[in-house]
Amino acid sequence: MNKVDHDIIEQITERIGRDANHALPLLQAIQTHYGYLPTEALERLCEVTECQPSQVWSIATFYDQFRLKPAGRHFVKVCIGTACHVKGATQIYEAFKRYLKIPADKDTDAERLFTVEKVACLGCCMLAPAVQIDDVIYGHLTNETIPQVLQDFLEQQKQAAGTREGTKTKTLQGQVRICLDSSCRAVGSDKVYAALQKAVAESNLPVKIKSTSCHGMSFLAPLVEVVTNDGTIFRYGNATVADAASILRRHFQPATVTARVKSSIDHFMQSLLDDRLAEGPIRYSLNIRDHSIDGYLNKQVRIATEFASEFDPLDIMDYQNNGGFEALKQCLTERTPEVILEELENAGLRGRGGGGYPTHLKWFAVKKAQASQKYIICNGDEGDPGAFMDRMLMESYPYRILEGMAIAAWTVGATEGYLYIRAEYPLALERMKQAIENCKRLGFLGQNIFESGFSLNLNVYAGAGAFVCGEETALIKSIEGKRPAPRLRPPYPTQQGFNGFPTLVNNVETYVLVPWVLRRGAEVFSALGTTESKGTKVFALAGKIRRGGLVEVPMGMTIRQIVEDIGGGVEDDKQLKAVQIGGPSGGCVPASMADTKIDYESLHTAGAIMGSGGMVILDQTDCMVDIARYFLEFTQNQSCGRCTFCRIGTKRMLEILERLCRGKGSRGDIEKLQELGKQIQITSICGLGKTAPNPVLSTIEHFRDEYEAHISGRCPAGKCRDLICYSITDECIGCTICAQHCPADAIAMKPYEKHIIDQQVCIRCGTCKTVCPANAVEVK
Amino acid sequence: MMIPLTIDNQKVQVPAGATLLDAARSLGIHIPTLCFAAGYKPSTSCMVCVVRVEGFKSLVPACGTRAVGNMVVTTCDDGIKKARKTAIELLLSDHVGDCVGPCERGCPANMNIPLMIRQIAAGKFEDAIRTVKKDIPLPAVLGRICPAPCEKVCRRAQADGAVSIRLLKRFVADVDLQSDNPYRPECLQSIGKKVAIVGAGPCGLSAGYYLRQAGIECTIFDDHEYPGGSLRYGSIDQNILPLEVVEKEIDPIMSLGIIFKGNIRVTQGVSMEELKRRYDAILLAVGELSDGQAEKIGIETKDNKIQVTRPEYYTSRNAVFAAGGCIGSRNLMIRAVADGKEAANAIQSYVLGQENSVNRQYNHPMGRLEKQELELFLKQSSNFGRIEPNSEILGLTAGQAQDESRRCLHCDCRKADSCQLRDAATGLAARRNVWPNQRKLFEQITACEKIIFEPGKCIKCGLCVQTSKNAGEQIGLSFEGRGFEMKIVAPLEKTLTEGLQKVSMDCVKICPTGALSLNEMIE
Repeated sequence: MNKVDHDIIEQITERIGRDANHALPLLQAIQTHYGYLPTEALERLCEVTECQPSQVWSIATFYDQFRLKPAGRHFVKVCIGTACHVKGATQIYEAFKRYLKIPADKDTDAERLFTVEKVACLGCCMLAPAVQIDDVIYGHLTNETIPQVLQDFLEQQKQAAGTREGTKTKTLQGQVRICLDSSCRAVGSDKVYAALQKAVAESNLPVKIKSTSCHGMSFLAPLVEVVTNDGTIFRYGNATVADAASILRRHFQPATVTARVKSSIDHFMQSLLDDRLAEGPIRYSLNIRDHSIDGYLNKQVRIATEFASEFDPLDIMDYQNNGGFEALKQCLTERTPEVILEELENAGLRGRGGGGYPTHLKWFAVKKAQASQKYIICNGDEGDPGAFMDRMLMESYPYRILEGMAIAAWTVGATEGYLYIRAEYPLALERMKQAIENCKRLGFLGQNIFESGFSLNLNVYAGAGAFVCGEETALIKSIEGKRPAPRLRPPYPTQQGFNGFPTLVNNVETYVLVPWVLRRGAEVFSALGTTESKGTKVFALAGKIRRGGLVEVPMGMTIRQIVEDIGGGVEDDKQLKAVQIGGPSGGCVPASMADTKIDYESLHTAGAIMGSGGMVILDQTDCMVDIARYFLEFTQNQSCGRCTFCRIGTKRMLEILERLCRGKGSRGDIEKLQELGKQIQITSICGLGKTAPNPVLSTIEHFRDEYEAHISGRCPAGKCRDLICYSITDECIGCTICAQHCPADAIAMKPYEKHIIDQQVCIRCGTCKTVCPANAVEVK
Repeated sequence: MMIPLTIDNQKVQVPAGATLLDAARSLGIHIPTLCFAAGYKPSTSCMVCVVRVEGFKSLVPACGTRAVGNMVVTTCDDGIKKARKTAIELLLSDHVGDCVGPCERGCPANMNIPLMIRQIAAGKFEDAIRTVKKDIPLPAVLGRICPAPCEKVCRRAQADGAVSIRLLKRFVADVDLQSDNPYRPECLQSIGKKVAIVGAGPCGLSAGYYLRQAGIECTIFDDHEYPGGSLRYGSIDQNILPLEVVEKEIDPIMSLGIIFKGNIRVTQGVSMEELKRRYDAILLAVGELSDGQAEKIGIETKDNKIQVTRPEYYTSRNAVFAAGGCIGSRNLMIRAVADGKEAANAIQSYVLGQENSVNRQYNHPMGRLEKQELELFLKQSSNFGRIEPNSEILGLTAGQAQDESRRCLHCDCRKADSCQLRDAATGLAARRNVWPNQRKLFEQITACEKIIFEPGKCIKCGLCVQTSKNAGEQIGLSFEGRGFEMKIVAPLEKTLTEGLQKVSMDCVKICPTGALSLNEMIE
């Protein structure tokens, strides 16, 4: 064991503080330094701070982020979020371990170079299946591309970090915009950005290269937008490093005629999209075919994502020039809290975190609470697998969130606050911190905002990988440095929250909507939506969808409209089977109910919930029992363990589902699942437990026949590994490709002969089916 | 400020801050609890105390829910009962350990064998005979002739031979009978009820022994001259069971005040009708029925066995009970003795006009031990094989008995009699194995010299964590991990001994289950 350096602990405590409530950031700092939490370091921490051994240990062992044993030099975090799951994340995880020769019970390779872990959700659902290696995200992985991904990563490591040069001041002829969000970076937008910068510098082009907020059209990323001074926008989808120079040359110097076709706002570079071959793990081709992007953009109504991709997320001037901080200024100087509450009530704004509780009522509860101190918290612990709205909002519209929070804080009388953000979102953390600094500098936060006498101090607080922290009482405990087990409500945080003081906790999207509502007026907002659900909702559209990404739609739009008109329909011309809405707390709406409207009540009736807005499209190859098992495995793993029903009940349900998926189910299992599920719903003390059975109960309701098929030993979707077998048909042309690619050596190479899969050896990864050029592999 | 609310249709006012449990208790309404302890922060963990509050979709734990003005609370309905029972059944599905040892469960008389063994090991032979005679009045006899089903299920049999339970029992009984003052149980003062027992064999004697202790007058009728039935008049080899032992063991039974009427055959010397007239109840313990005997008694039989209800031992005739060989229990003498005891309990309830209070206590089974579990148990006990007596006639010497008793694996729970989980399971009639699963491995950690921690029995209530925190333990205890895998440990990879410097005994006391217990049960 390496000796723990007392100076290091001293420096860390000096920097962060010695109070017990700093336990979480203290542990994070120790882990950052050592790569894990050496017990000696924790002992030293307890000696030099107010932290208690039991507190430190119960936290260190609670969060996924912390490790108590040394790990490899690099972390391979395989996303097992919903979208990745339906696209084979389990196989990817296993393939990484196989390739790195890591035994089943270990997570680190022999050279201690890579540690392979599963991670709840990277929030890059449209890149599924995705993996994050240290700070780099790779998307659209296959078993085949894993060696290339690792190689690419190691090469990148070798290269010294390139410096970013600013553009020289000159009379600009236009602007080139590119999104540098983590998901766009994952498909190489940062490389394209660097290439654009380089081209501008080399040719001294009169143009500004700007990194912008996310456009939402993830299927086209990296997307380069060229805006000329006359306001025309040209878009280039799936741009590569090689394209950078030619794109620039086309617009900003006498155009060289290239083979590439340019496109105006409603016309895409078809050839750019179609011509590309899948070269490696990062680049990928997407066929847009007969659908234009129009539907994608025009059916949407942008409030939370207003001005998408039009300005630099951290450029505070851009934000101000587009109406930013107007609402805050008005509130602080012209409106009373009562007027603001009335406006929110008239707008019909409801919490976007899942419950749909009327925002003005929550704010009012905090406002009327009598206390010497009040707090405001932004819940950015977006833990649902299959959801990435909050990440996008935080990365793209940090000022809008801060403005919303400032208005809320002023209305309820809070002067201190926190933004609690998932540790898995490093860019969101970085941007929110930077945005707060910028706001403070310009007087939008801090002391005496707009000379109103109102002061607000906001802090960013990083989570550490625990889904349950999205529950408000757990989140508060997490910030307090306690073990984040939810507590019984009432009392609600609006009465007794952070450190026992009244605390307003709202979701990211709720805060984001506030400035717009107040600037544009309640009437404009409430004109959108249905009777009970007003305004818009941002969804993360992912799974088997042709065009995935972030969409913002007016409430009341049907699921079918979102899937077909916006998402362009199901991928690969398959049939829509169901739409999973609301993640692990939600349910599956079957295709037959696709005309269900998106509003709180209709979704509830359909057996789903609005939730935070994850929307995963499932096709006929998705097994509903497997989906239910997947979600329950997630919540079961994330249970804090306090209540009997959630701790043991979800485990027992999961065991039944696992038996079903292995073909070992028996009569009565479905009824047992229903019985226990209902008991868990009515007896758990927090939302995680109460909603954990939802995915199971809703799939039983709509797809009971699939459950029964599993009891009989069949998986109709051909997904459950123990119930299927791959075989090669007479269509086989004897090309040997399957044998070459089989990771388990289950196929003997027989040139010009029909190949045969050894069922004993086959690991049912599906690689042969993917690579077969003759479509000669079938699943039964 | 007082808060008014309604619980089970009763109005009550409670002080601000009071919980629904406080409120219910102030009305004398019982709500079962498990993880709750007065003076501690409610951990709202077990969910056994759930109640229904009007307007709430969910059931809420009464221990942690504060009363709010005008709440309308229901503390018991079918849904609540079901939730409570399910909570317990889920906890049981994750419970690793036996309540009582397999030997005790396997013994027809359910004698507390592990306790007897520990008493022998500690040299407390007088305590041991008390333990034995609480359930078996003829241990010297049975210690010689019992086929010992207890030894067949003994966990040590998986390793190097079962503990020699039968000979240990015999040793205890012999020591007692050879003493100047053999053990005699206390008998209650007469309660003014009389029972006639027909048959002075092992079953009848056993029934008389326990009825007398309950203060009930007993008269045993038998067609032989002396009591003992098959023990005295049967075909048992004298070398194995000398008559002297039989007599010595029957003496203290009869001396409890049992009236013996020998040479009287019921239905000949005395009629059933007469017995019915003179006694409050009759117990037929006549051994195997001779042809036509049942008809003469006037009782229903099937295949020449008297039909009785269980566990009441009622025959078809009012106030007439039957037990032992005549109901088919004769094959195993210990069964007949157990019958006599159980029938005595049933008769006691009957003559007192009480409901038969045989409330079967919940018993959790751990099942067969895995290899590593057996090794863990073996580490805690003596490491030599089963001791055989130098002479079958003399039995074990005191030294041998003590050595042999140290071979016991102590697989029974140290808190079987005070476990609140077991009580709740019994109270809610919880079933075992409702949620079958691959159980966790049994673990056992010894700490602070005399504390035993068995994580598999922990219900994760955290009362011990609170206790150690309140006491200001420097290391203390902590939760580790989360969810299903969550555990209680001493933090920072310390030992439990390091964690509990001050309050280990308090933790044992507050622990509602056998997760934390005292190693030494005999004070």
